[in-house]
Amino acid sequence: MEWPIPLENPETTMASQASLRKNLLSSDRKSLIIGIVLLAVLIGVASMSVDGFASTNNARSILLLASFLGLAALGQTLVATVGGLDLSIPFVIGASNILLAYLFGTSIPPALGIFIIAVLGAAIGALNGVLSYRLQGQALILTLGIGFSLVGAAQIFTTFGSQYSGTVFSQVPAWFSNISAINGKTLGMPFPPVVLIWAVVSAILIFWIHHNRAGRALYAVGNNRTAASVLSISEFKVWVSTYTVSGLTASITGMLLLGFSGGGFVGVGDPYLFTTVAAVVVGGTSLLGGSGGYGATIVGVLVLQVLTSFLVGLGLNYAAQQTVFGLLILPMVALYARAPHIRYQI
Amino acid sequence: MTAISVNNVSKNFGETRALRAASLEANFGEIHAIVGENGSGKSTLAKIISGVVPADGGSVDVLGHSPSSPTEAIAIGVSTIFQEMMLAESLSIWENVFAGSDSFWKRSSSVADKKRRTKEILERLADCPIDPDWPVSSVPLSVKQWIVISRALLQKPKVLVFDESSAALDLEATSRLHHEMLALKADGTAVIIVTHRIAELVKFADQATVLRDGETVGQIGRADMTEENLLRLMSAKTDHSAKSDAKDRVAFGGGTPALRASNIALSTNGQSFNFQLFPGQIVGIAGLDGAGQAEFVRILAGIDKAPQGTVTVWDDKGDEHLVADLASAETNRIAYVSGDRKKEGIFANLSILENFGLALYGRYANKAGFIDRKALSEVFKKEKERLSIKFGRRSDKITTLSGGNQQKVLIARAFALNPRIIILNDPARGVDIGTKQDLYTHLRAFAAEGGAVIYLSTEIEEFFNFADRADVFFEGGLFASFDEDQIGEETILGAMFGQSEPVEMSEVLEQELPSETQLQAAAQ
Amino acid sequence: MNRKILNQFNHLAVPLGLVVILGVLAAMRAPQTFTYVGLAGAVLIAAPLILAAMAITPIAIAGRGGVDLSIGPMIGFVNVTIVVWLGALEITNPFAVFAFAIGLACLWQFLLAMIIIYVRISPIIASLAGYMILQGVNLVILPRPGGFAPDWLGDWGWGTELLGPVLYILIAACAFWFVFQRTPMFQHIRLMGADERTAYTSGVNIVAARIAAHLVAGVFAGLAALCLTGMIGSGDPSQGNTLTLQAITALVLGGTSLSGGKGGVTGSILGAVAMYLVFVVLSSFNFGAISGYMTQLSYGLMLVLSLLISLLTTQSRPRTA
Repeated sequence: MEWPIPLENPETTMASQASLRKNLLSSDRKSLIIGIVLLAVLIGVASMSVDGFASTNNARSILLLASFLGLAALGQTLVATVGGLDLSIPFVIGASNILLAYLFGTSIPPALGIFIIAVLGAAIGALNGVLSYRLQGQALILTLGIGFSLVGAAQIFTTFGSQYSGTVFSQVPAWFSNISAINGKTLGMPFPPVVLIWAVVSAILIFWIHHNRAGRALYAVGNNRTAASVLSISEFKVWVSTYTVSGLTASITGMLLLGFSGGGFVGVGDPYLFTTVAAVVVGGTSLLGGSGGYGATIVGVLVLQVLTSFLVGLGLNYAAQQTVFGLLILPMVALYARAPHIRYQI
Repeated sequence: MTAISVNNVSKNFGETRALRAASLEANFGEIHAIVGENGSGKSTLAKIISGVVPADGGSVDVLGHSPSSPTEAIAIGVSTIFQEMMLAESLSIWENVFAGSDSFWKRSSSVADKKRRTKEILERLADCPIDPDWPVSSVPLSVKQWIVISRALLQKPKVLVFDESSAALDLEATSRLHHEMLALKADGTAVIIVTHRIAELVKFADQATVLRDGETVGQIGRADMTEENLLRLMSAKTDHSAKSDAKDRVAFGGGTPALRASNIALSTNGQSFNFQLFPGQIVGIAGLDGAGQAEFVRILAGIDKAPQGTVTVWDDKGDEHLVADLASAETNRIAYVSGDRKKEGIFANLSILENFGLALYGRYANKAGFIDRKALSEVFKKEKERLSIKFGRRSDKITTLSGGNQQKVLIARAFALNPRIIILNDPARGVDIGTKQDLYTHLRAFAAEGGAVIYLSTEIEEFFNFADRADVFFEGGLFASFDEDQIGEETILGAMFGQSEPVEMSEVLEQELPSETQLQAAAQ
Repeated sequence: MNRKILNQFNHLAVPLGLVVILGVLAAMRAPQTFTYVGLAGAVLIAAPLILAAMAITPIAIAGRGGVDLSIGPMIGFVNVTIVVWLGALEITNPFAVFAFAIGLACLWQFLLAMIIIYVRISPIIASLAGYMILQGVNLVILPRPGGFAPDWLGDWGWGTELLGPVLYILIAACAFWFVFQRTPMFQHIRLMGADERTAYTSGVNIVAARIAAHLVAGVFAGLAALCLTGMIGSGDPSQGNTLTLQAITALVLGGTSLSGGKGGVTGSILGAVAMYLVFVVLSSFNFGAISGYMTQLSYGLMLVLSLLISLLTTQSRPRTA
């Protein structure tokens, strides 16, 4: 964990892991298996109890919404892997959303506009990274502050000369809407391209993290930054890179959500404030850093999204869904991210 | 009268068997030492007596109780000074001294009274002016040590457990401390002292329980308390001499050194010194905590920058290179192994293979950074066999291994880098005797092939029959240097406390120092 | 002694400076704030935030990176239950309502403390889950704003009398803290927050200390909920949610470190007052549609800047793993 929670010490993790060894499962794999089983059970139960749950339409909508959450949670996963937390994600999403809508309303070519917003998102991420590296242990507050400032500034910028507050209207190019609209087509196939994009990005990321030095460096830093620095792994570079990616993926999510909804709305990011954290945690990446991975987060994202769909099918509203999410986090975390008893930290 | 009776106690931390069969009988009004090498389980035994960790097996009777928490232990009259100084650095001195003295609702005494007593006891013990309102973070290490000692003394314990295996007090302070212990003893307190400072121990302990590999191997009374007896029991099976007696002593000094540190100072205005190391040589490094030896080896390994001075190495062709950072240390084939595995060694959540590989990815990855797992796997297999590391599957987490095997993985990692110089920072900490023995053998073999070894240890016994030279640090500088035949407990301990003749610069450095320009040229 | 005063001053210098500067600005831009009626309104509006910021202070002091994210929805929870549950039972007796509000808040905090202590998951995750749970529960209890607070409570919302119940509650809360801060219990919490291992090994009952920190938070949170209910005169399932981020901002502005062991409610109160003054000053400008965003931008910048200032003043501590 990035804020000063007593770190686990190996002497004591040993004790807490004694029971884990018995079934020869590493806690990473264990949480992944639990996640997949949970997902399968959810799908099974939902298909049986909710009419129309097992339809292509519903599957498409689950995957579409999962793509947004998945991309937003990508950065959160990387940041959590190195032991940080990025609470600016919802604000970057909201700001990117309205700023892109604003740019679409100007004479700037849409592609250039998208590029500008992506760079802006990455820059905000890098700023988060540099400042939170300096302010060890305060990443939570810092990213929140940066997020507030960004959203405030973006709204002031887009509201000047407009009587609508919080909402920006402009023409979204059709090709851009197609990427993330529910009726979008991918090379003629009946699902929106964002699903494919998410799948490809996920595959590349997972492969890269497993087989690339830089990917492994994330885990080294997340586990033990002092030991990593002795192996000439630059904590600063790793830290700032993950936050930069987080800013970038958040801004991409915000832009894709514009294509999804058709109008810019700053509040579009709000549900992602804690849901990205929930997806990461339910998947099995410990916020203490150094374990889990994006594969786990994908499972977490799907669990949350299938659960949402199931609860909607049962007639539960957004409010009840939030409660269920909250109730889900506790046992999932208790399964794999318990701190050792203090007596083993002495 | 018996104060503590511990019988046949065992304790495991995961795979690590800290205690197998430890027993201890201590009486009121005696100073009872628990001695043993690093990793023999003496600190764990102390923690069991003070209620911090529960025993897995055996019986524990402390003042008629078996305390299950420090709170309970303190309540029945057991005070403990832990190996690690337990301090809230951001709080004031008096708050730390009186930590835990109040009940939840009622103060034991007024704040003014606490401050007064803090000042009184600390000025007496630490022998320097103290303002009880100072934050702990602002005082030197020795005063911090006195703060935790004062806390325990003010609890007026019936049993005092003092784990001083890394106490940060100089000789004079130590004698003040011993004076306090004797006063406690006179008051009828049972004083349990965990230590490896045998030379001092024999002067004032009444009883000593000797631990080896988690077992009590003997209890020595006042009459038989000699260094020889203690050492013999502590290390009966330990044969430090990986070196065969037949081997002729190599005279180091001529030829090209492997490494030289010139005009190094550990602080900006600290005294500067020189150091050199030859191929095939094993140099032991010793010193009290905070005397500068740890900083020094980290500088040699390129981890930290020297505030002053340069580190030079010579390659096979006899060319000079500067070591200024980790990158230059790596290209010049310097490998570093830390004994503080938890802090700067292992990655607890990662697999055995990954812990091994993380240091080597640089060599086994292509330009784009993708890792050649196959080649890495070969190296792993080779090193694993060389060091006979025992584990289930290499994809298991490193924390499933015992401390000794974890250390072996880290050493295998260093060997796999194919180093010319290997720097070990107290590698035997918390490892079993078998692993230690293997370690000495491998390092000897490494030196025999022309490698050079720098071996920092907190236990000077490790140098006996092992190191070719021992360099001792004192107060932030290199203080004395001993050749193989001078290495002994007395000489080294004396130097650790600054009691022998300071080392002559000319003895260490026989060759002329290279000029600045040469050094810079070498760095290019 | 000088040194000690200086230390305390250092700790409060930033929030105090902010309040003074913003106070002067507010007096210039919106002099009506400092009239009798103006102050009455100010106390009414600022009270829930001040009390919420006070509530999360002891939890932050207790360490383990404890920041109670659930504080906002929890205040909302007490608000909607006063209106819906007590309303249905027709319980309007002030003593009963006070007891209910404080008791419910303490119960929640106790639960949170139990999870943190015995399940041993980090406080931030426990309270994050709590946030999500209560956010939903509130909407289930009361799907949209409505209902009525008991008459006597709703009357607080007129906000025309400075010397009224809201001010008395604030004074009582400060008095409560003043007493609490002088108990050995508080020392235990502080020691635990600064270094839990030291506290544990020196005989402090860390379980009791952590529970105590949460219960004190519960008392303040219950009072915050009463003030919120009085201010809006009805139930609102989501009004409380925004209090989480605002209270954390006030806490950080007030110089309480999330790393534990340091700080006090004086800072948190000053932080909350500073935030209110920012709101007042910005409202005095005619920003029209963007005034809400100006407030948000200012809060964000204040948060980042106060962090950066703390970086400059506590640079001496070396980074450790």
